[in-house]
Amino acid sequence: MDISVNGPKIYFEIPIFGGIRITQTTVSLFAVTVILMILGYCLTRNLKKRPGKVQVVVEKLVTMLYNLVEDTMGKHNLVFAPYIGTLFLCSIVGTLIGMTQIFRSTTADLSVTLAWALVTSVMVWYHNIKNFGVKTWLKGFTEPIVVMTPMNIVSEIAQPISMAFRHFGNVAGGSVLTSLIYGALAALTSFVFSWLPEAAAAVFPPIFQVGIPAFLSIYFDLFSGFVQALVFSLLTMVYVGSACPPPAERPKKEKSK
Amino acid sequence: MIEAFEAFVGVNFWTMIFAWCNLLVLYLFLRKILFKPVKNMIDSRQKEIDDMYAEAEKNRGDAAVMKADYEEKLNRANEESEEILKKAVRRAQLREEEILHDANDKAARVIKRAEEQIELEKKRMVNEIKNEVSEMAIDIAGAVIERDVSREEHEALIDEFIRTMGN
Repeated sequence: MDISVNGPKIYFEIPIFGGIRITQTTVSLFAVTVILMILGYCLTRNLKKRPGKVQVVVEKLVTMLYNLVEDTMGKHNLVFAPYIGTLFLCSIVGTLIGMTQIFRSTTADLSVTLAWALVTSVMVWYHNIKNFGVKTWLKGFTEPIVVMTPMNIVSEIAQPISMAFRHFGNVAGGSVLTSLIYGALAALTSFVFSWLPEAAAAVFPPIFQVGIPAFLSIYFDLFSGFVQALVFSLLTMVYVGSACPPPAERPKKEKSK
Repeated sequence: MIEAFEAFVGVNFWTMIFAWCNLLVLYLFLRKILFKPVKNMIDSRQKEIDDMYAEAEKNRGDAAVMKADYEEKLNRANEESEEILKKAVRRAQLREEEILHDANDKAARVIKRAEEQIELEKKRMVNEIKNEVSEMAIDIAGAVIERDVSREEHEALIDEFIRTMGN
């Protein structure tokens, strides 16, 4: 009885640029993109003023997204709503695609979550510099006192890393736990039926694996996947939102160039 | 082919590139096909509803103004009709009085004329009777006295007689 905890399987390697590895994650990423594109296309194929059932649901979800963005980031930051929505959809579909057992969850790969977290960080930096000016932004690191500068820099670097690891850890940990439980249930089956002759026990199916993991999956995949997608999007909203205060509260850019 | 795996906790730069590309493509695609159209649809519907409500509100205001206008006009029409009625009644009354007056006048005139006529007739009758009586008296007197009294005497006699009779 072996339980192996592996990273994404490498299918093949394109021997250019020092080797581009096509892994399960890569395939899943494209699968997610295709699924979301098809969904997005089908759900909005004929929008009408008097909506049908599907359109009502889609509109409700889009309204919820815009309301959430407005509540968290403010009315002036509604431009970010499509990105937040995309990020949320990528995250949750990327997590749930692991339940198919055909694809591996994209978010169970640190590369993906780190890539997304870095996008958030770059957005924060870009908007900070755009709205406050380079000088004010850099000066912000020395506040409240100069001694705090190293810690401020560390926290700035830690921000994307913690976001990436939080999401990755939850999903990957969930899948590890699920495979551990599968192993345990298989062990339990062979233990309970150990009185059978060895030949029979070998072919006997691990019946405890039927049903029981489904309940755990509700928590580890559905609930955790949803919560992590929400947390990731919310953090992005909060960070980017604080870099884009309402126009009235923006300090005048200092002439730093 | 040997099964090879990435590190469980590891970062592959190319996977990150793929993640970025997919995120970017999805973002552009979903923004164009899902978020913007749906949001526009919601907003335009909201706007339409707002417009409709504003329109309805405006119409209601207009209707109230029109109603007040009509009520005022109706009141004025009522007043006018009353006025006309009153005038007509007054005129009718005047006319009535006039007619009555005329009729009275005419009646009075008729009566007066009739009285005059009666008076005239009476006079004529009296004269006639007077003549007849005088003739009769002459005849009777002639027959009684059987002799001719002179004309002057006669006349004087008769006149005296009539005078006493007329009283």
